[in-house]
Amino acid sequence: MHISRRNFVWSSAGIASAGFVLDSTLSKPVLADDDNHRECAAQPQPIPHTIATPFGTTIHHFFPGPVEGVDPVTGHDPSEIFDFSGVVAQADLLLTGEGTDLNTGDSAPYDFHADMRFMSGNFRGADGETHRGAFAFI
Amino acid sequence: MAFWVTPIPNGSARANFDKGTAELHVRNICVFDAFAVSNSLTPTHPLGNIAGAVIESLDLKWSGVTRSIIGFSDPVNQFSGDFFETSAAIMVTAKTKKSTGHGFQFVSSATTTVNFAQFGRETNGKFF
Repeated sequence: MHISRRNFVWSSAGIASAGFVLDSTLSKPVLADDDNHRECAAQPQPIPHTIATPFGTTIHHFFPGPVEGVDPVTGHDPSEIFDFSGVVAQADLLLTGEGTDLNTGDSAPYDFHADMRFMSGNFRGADGETHRGAFAFI
Repeated sequence: MAFWVTPIPNGSARANFDKGTAELHVRNICVFDAFAVSNSLTPTHPLGNIAGAVIESLDLKWSGVTRSIIGFSDPVNQFSGDFFETSAAIMVTAKTKKSTGHGFQFVSSATTTVNFAQFGRETNGKFF
């Protein structure tokens, strides 16, 4: 029995950012109608620090570690968002559990490495305004 | 664009600095499953297949403070605050719908290895 390994939380969270793109696209027809104006969640700004990935892209991120920093890319600011004031938490975890292929019904032990965080408080959004909200890095 | 960040309901995340604990509880957070980190970070998405997924439940707790860093300030990265290194425990259930053709469900067990965990109160950027 074999279930292809997926770094599920890492990968699913990765597309959460792509979800922002989809949301902004889908919201255009709604925003065009003032009578049916829908309030969209303010989008936060990323921290300025960037890391070049092996895949030719750049991400705004520090790897988990103490705030004093272990090296230039590990530790430091645990927040993923900038112009922020509030509560932050991060956890670098090795998860174990059971994965099930829902198409075949096969199950097997499954584990993956996850970096999870939250930021809750006041932030200046991409619109330049200060908002209150909560975000998860999952 | 903030990296891998999604909004969650207010009240889903909180910290109790007197008790030295923090919690994150979310339900039914819609995300996508790109199957691999490389897919998420590569614009061309080599597998060309991204499936809708749901974090059905996620409960993450921080407790057991092992080190306190009070009044920390980093002018280079423009952030400051009080930080508490801790242990952590997580329970998560995530599912990619069967209808996507890539149906998959993960249910975590109680066993978690914590490489690093911390929570705190911080300011950065214009609030620094």
